[in-house]
This record gives sequence, C-alpha cells and structure tokens, in this order.
Amino acid sequence: MIDLFIGLFLATLIVELFASRLYQLIFWYSANSLFLGLLALWMGRQLNDNAMLITGILTILLKAISIPFLLRFLAQKHQFSRQIKSEIKLHYAIILIPVILVFTFYLAEPLSHKIGTNANYVAISISSLFLSLLMMVQHKGIAPKIIGFLSLENTLFLLGMTATEGMPMLVELGIFFDLLMAIVVINLLFHKEDSE
Amino acid sequence: MMLFMLLLPAIVMFAVSFIKNKQAKWLLPISSIFILLPIIQLFLLDKPYLFANDYLLADKLNTFILLVSSIVGIGVTLALLTLSRRVSISKRAYRRFYRSFAIFWVGLILSILSNHMGVYWIGLELATLATVYMIKTNNTPAARKEAWNYMIVGAISVSLILFGIILMYASAKPALAEQAMRFDLLIFEAERIPSPFLFEIGFSIATIGMFVKMGFFPMSLWLPNIERASFYPVAALFSGILESAVIIGFFRLSKIMMLVNYTHLFWFVFIYALLTIFIVSLLIFKAKDFMRLFSLSGIEHMALIVIFWVSGGTFAALLHLGAHAFLKPALFLSTGVLESGGRYQFAGTLKGYTGAKAKLFALMVSLLLLGVISVPPSPMFFSELSGFASMLETAQQSHYMLAMIGAIVLLLIFLSIIFYRFINIFQSMKYEGEAQVKTVYVNELLVLIIFAASLLLLLTPLSLDYLRSIQ
Repeated sequence: MIDLFIGLFLATLIVELFASRLYQLIFWYSANSLFLGLLALWMGRQLNDNAMLITGILTILLKAISIPFLLRFLAQKHQFSRQIKSEIKLHYAIILIPVILVFTFYLAEPLSHKIGTNANYVAISISSLFLSLLMMVQHKGIAPKIIGFLSLENTLFLLGMTATEGMPMLVELGIFFDLLMAIVVINLLFHKEDSE
Repeated sequence: MMLFMLLLPAIVMFAVSFIKNKQAKWLLPISSIFILLPIIQLFLLDKPYLFANDYLLADKLNTFILLVSSIVGIGVTLALLTLSRRVSISKRAYRRFYRSFAIFWVGLILSILSNHMGVYWIGLELATLATVYMIKTNNTPAARKEAWNYMIVGAISVSLILFGIILMYASAKPALAEQAMRFDLLIFEAERIPSPFLFEIGFSIATIGMFVKMGFFPMSLWLPNIERASFYPVAALFSGILESAVIIGFFRLSKIMMLVNYTHLFWFVFIYALLTIFIVSLLIFKAKDFMRLFSLSGIEHMALIVIFWVSGGTFAALLHLGAHAFLKPALFLSTGVLESGGRYQFAGTLKGYTGAKAKLFALMVSLLLLGVISVPPSPMFFSELSGFASMLETAQQSHYMLAMIGAIVLLLIFLSIIFYRFINIFQSMKYEGEAQVKTVYVNELLVLIIFAASLLLLLTPLSLDYLRSIQ
C-alpha cells in the first residue's frame, strides 16, 4: 500500500509538470497532497505513531482541501491567466523528467545503504524535490511557481516521513504554520498589486 | 517566562502597528529597547541555560549574537521614525512594515536561541516570509519583482536547509531517537553518529542553503538586487540580523561536522568561500551604487567569517561578525541621506553638510566607511589579523600549510581589490562632484552614534575577554 501511495505521489507530481491549465495544475497538486496525507495515515497506523496520524489528517485538510480551494479563490479574485506556459518544450520535458528520475536514483544509491528502511522511498523523495524545483524554474508565471513551492514542501514532508519515519511533532506543526504564513504572504503580495 | 520576556517587545510592536494614531510610531522604538532587559538577564545566568523544554538554549555564543542583533533592531526602529521623509510610503504600508518586522524579529529570536534544528528552521522560515512583505512595501515594479524573487529563492534556500536537516536527523536518529535534532546532544554524540556519511551529505545540503541565503556563490547577485529594490532599513535588517541568525546555524552545525570529518569541512568551506570572495571582489569593482556596494561587501565579510570560523579562529570570526553587524546596518541606514541627491552617484555625497549635526553625521559616515575596509582602529582590522593568525596556527597543526598560505595570498589579493575600490569611492565622495545641501535628522545621527558606541564597546577588554571565552 505504501508503494502505491508513493507511486501515485510521484505520478501526480509528474502530471503537474505537464499541466497546461491553472485549475488542472491546482487539481493535481491537491491529488498529490491527498496521496501524501494518505501515506502519512497509513504509515502512522503501521508504526502506531499518533503524531504521524495527526500530520496525515492535517495534510489532507490543509493541503489537499483548503489550500487548493484558496488558490482557486485567489486565481478568480485576481484574474490569473488560466493558460500556463512552460518555458521548457514538451518533448524536452519528456526526456528531462526520466533523466532526473534515473539520475536521482543513482545519486541516492550510496545514501540508500545508510538508511535501513524505505531506501527507495528516499530516492523518490529526492527525485520529487528535483521535479518540484524544475516546476519552479520552468514557468515564468507566478501561480505555477507558487504551486512548485507548495509541491517542494510536500516532497520535504515525504522525505521526512520516509527517511526518519516521522519528524518530531513540533517540527511538523511548525512547517504547517509556516505554510499557512506563506499563503498569507502570497495573498498580501497579490492584494497590494491589485490596490495599486 | 524568559521566552515571553524576549518576545514581548516584538509582540508589543505587532500590537502597536494596528493603532492608527500618528503618535503611536514613537512607541515602536521605545518598545524595542525593552528587549535589552531579558538579554542582560541572560548574560548574568550560568551557561548553558536551557529553557522552553530544552528547545531553546542560551550559551555565550548565541547570547552575544542576540545582543548584537537586538542593538541593530533598536537602531533600525529609530531610523524608521523618519523613513516617510526620505521615501514615499503610505501610512498603511508603514504600519504593515512594522507588523512584518515584529514577526521577523520573533522568527530570528527563535532561530538564534534554538537548541533544536527544527526550531532553528521554523524561525528562519518565519523571518524569510515576513521579509517578503517588507521588500514589497516599496511600491515600485522593481520591488514587486524582487519580492517574488525573494519568495522563490528564499523558499528554495530554506527548503535546502530543511532537506539537509532531515538527512542529518536521519543519520543520528538510531542513536539519539527524537533527541537527534538537539544541537547540544549532537555535539556530545558527534563521534558516535551511526551514519557519518549521511550526516555529511545533510550538512553539505543545509550549508548550501545557508550560503545561498547569505548570497554566496553562485547566487551573489540576488541579494544585492533585492536590497537595491527595497527600502534601506530592509537592507540593514538583512545585514545586521538575518545574516547573523543564518550564520549561527552554520556555527552550530559546523562544530558537529568538525568532529565528524574536519578534512571534508575544511575543503568544502574554503573552496566555496574563496570562490565567493573572488566573484564578489570583481562585482564590488563594478558597483555603481551604495546599496549594491554595501550588500556585496556584506557577502564578502560573511565569507571571511566562515573561513575564520572553520580555521578555528572563533574569536576572530565573532569579533568580525559583531563589527560587521554594527558597521553595515549603520552604512545602509545612512544611504537615506547619501542617496538623497540620486541613486547612482558617489561623487560629492560627503559634501553639502552644514551645521554641527550634519557635519558630525558626515564624519561618522566617513569613519564607518573606512572601518568596513578594516582601516585601524576598526574592530575588523583586529579580527582579520587574528583570523589570519588562526589560519596559520591551524595549518601548523595539520597538513594544510601550503593550502592555507595559498588561501591567505588569494584572500589578500581579493581584499586589496575591494580596499582599492572603497578608497576610490571614498575619495570621489569627498573630493569630486558638486555639493548639494543635505538634511540630517536627529534620529539618523542618533542611530550612527549608537552603532559607533557599540563598536567601541566591542573593543573594550571586557568584550574581548568575553569573545575569547567562547569555544
């Protein structure tokens, strides 16, 4: 089951990279967060870790439901362009993404031996990190960059879960708080632009 | 209770920023001064002093950095009193600037006092996000663009730091369980970390994140661009507080790394920092405005501090850090006056000061400008001498003598380029161009006096002994 959730997490992230419409991108980000939340719930149940269960619930509530809803609201309020234009052409992206995946598995190989459990998951986390960075770099528009940043947070969460079997609760709550703060700041940045 | 006392000035500042009364702005610098009370108390306590369930720690190192940062914070709040006379800022934006400043301060107090990698990161992220709005307060297209740039690059750098922290945590968790995030325990158990290789990878990634945040190679241009686009107090906050909070994370982690694998740390940091100073010295040579000049010089000094620290020159690194934290914000805050005749102009900026207040201001700016390029008796002169001595001392006890001499020679070449450029600019400020009458407000002069007095205090035997006692 963990393999399935991580596979779906990676798949949705790759689909995000190919999204050409804003709402489509927000939907796939929401799906990405949902699989991350379900993974946390599943791992929390397996490890009998209440902190991870809370994290899973918070991930689903915040990242899979609230933030996508808020992003749609912001997109409507500030009339973002629905069309997303990638700086990297589709056929190059099709080559680049598998290269990143293979490269990160190779890069993570020595690390994998050092982490007893879930070695492949760590490799997937690192590749997801690179893919999120790619999303931030390949778009000129602000909205995809924001979603790239939010996806980056998801991949760090995945790494925290798989490499350490859960970070301390305080840190996870802190990350959630910072994420909310980031949304407030993003809203403020748009708001000012509007009123000028 | 201690944490509440430390955060109280920032909380008061946050609350006051909602009051629309014009006189409320006077409360802001007054409230900031009260942070000195709990810091004095921290100085008097036996160290290390753990509090807030051991998540926070006050030792000699971070108490010093907290004091320096707080003095800078007080200076900036004073300078903000006349910000609206120097730049165009709406009352609403001014209040919001203060609100962001309060959040920024809370984040940095947490980072500086953290004894936990997670808390350190949370504080840093909070400060980063608060800064985004401070940059945006300047209502120009360039500031808007740079605010987004900061959001993106800042997010990438703090994400790299978190990424590194997770790997370091994973490396030590088998031995320390959830306590593997605590700096004090990690230093104690450094030689018994089950996966030192994983720790090294994590350290390298986190360090790259910190270096990016401080504008090191290859991201040496983003910070000067942001500081140029935002109001000058933002640049003062960056150089005096934010960079100190970032570098304390490096200090803590590198202390652990020294015990894990000193050779790797040495080569990694030296190559990175030397490359940074090389690039920055070339950029300084081409700098055409004060903000970029000071910003690039800030990157150079942070790279020097990192080199001194890794060479075992704790005293030199901290003296340099303290001196830089006072000198650079003072210079950034004086750009409000220096650039009153135009942004891209050095010539004649030290001319046109009439009256005792303005003349004293010009004199102090001249001294600070010479101080930042280590002209004696600047504390930077002594810190650099001590730093080079530490480098040679470390080399004598290791196999790096040739590398160290090479590094010193390279450093001297790069520093002489920077020295030449600053002297050239200073002469242009003083002897070239037309004199334009400049207005200096009392609070602006007071800020420079506070920073100059702090620099003098840094050179007293008591302060130097304190710095020498930090391990």
